[in-house]
Amino acid sequence: MTAETEPSHPVTGLDDVVHQRVRLGILTIAHEARRVEFGYLRGQLQLTAGNLSQHLGVLETAGLIDVEKGYEGKRGRTWITLTAAGRTALAEEIARLKLLIARVETTDG
Amino acid sequence: MTTDAVPGDPRRLLSEVHDLAHRVRRDQRVTWVALLVLAVVTFAAIPFDWFGMQVDCAPTGECEFSRDGVLYYWPPALLVAYAAIAYVYRRIARSRGVDARVLPYAITGAALILVFLAAWIAVRVYLADNPPPTEPLPYGWLVLDRLVAPWGIIGVALLVLARLERNTGLLLFTLGYLAVVLVPIDFGWQAHQSVQAEFLPQQVINGLVLLLGAAGFALARRR
Repeated sequence: MTAETEPSHPVTGLDDVVHQRVRLGILTIAHEARRVEFGYLRGQLQLTAGNLSQHLGVLETAGLIDVEKGYEGKRGRTWITLTAAGRTALAEEIARLKLLIARVETTDG
Repeated sequence: MTTDAVPGDPRRLLSEVHDLAHRVRRDQRVTWVALLVLAVVTFAAIPFDWFGMQVDCAPTGECEFSRDGVLYYWPPALLVAYAAIAYVYRRIARSRGVDARVLPYAITGAALILVFLAAWIAVRVYLADNPPPTEPLPYGWLVLDRLVAPWGIIGVALLVLARLERNTGLLLFTLGYLAVVLVPIDFGWQAHQSVQAEFLPQQVINGLVLLLGAAGFALARRR
């Protein structure tokens, strides 16, 4: 006799690193932009440099983004790119969000 | 945007994701640059076509012509144009803090030049063994001929750019431009003074459409 396993609720699969508004925003922007500059992220997400750096640190430690520091002329610039793991994590997060919405709508109906 | 996690609000999170993605795509676009460069290339082609055209008229008034200027001008000009567009596009997008999605467009544009050359060679090979048609070509053939001509392949490549950028404005503009090129829509302006003059109005109109498009997208960007 085999026990029928109920599919897990989408919430259980949410990744805390990604399921956070700012970090999800960073991943989204980096995905669309392919390569995004620190200042652009700060402007779009309306964060202080320190706050943004903290979130970037979390994502970099998790292996979801690459941070590249360089110069353009005399100006220092920091560029952020999504890693393959970051692309997967973002896609999974969005899929789970859609699943959650579908689940909520089904429950409401 | 705050830094709070909102586990119970997936709709809002998704909506924010879509909004951010839309803003990034808007900042990646430098559409006016592409259209301006293509307009310049189109206008610069006119003297090459005019003076490079080989015309051989019989005493009966029937003329044979070969637009050699088109063949020699357009392939290198378009290659330079696509390289310039890719370079300027990326430079402007990077100055805004993002990367541009222009490389596949430039590659498609360059590949379409090969299509134009292949079509040109195929027609030459055919005419070497066969007499030129005495009857007008079927309308479908004329449209195909215009589609693989330089003005047509510019439009096809722009469709690719519109798709890459998910740019509805550019898609609508390009469909209008292709209608002008393929139908062709000459707004009633025709010139019959010489064989060279026959081709002038359409080239000027094509260039003007691109130029107006560049101005329109530049103005829209400023707003």
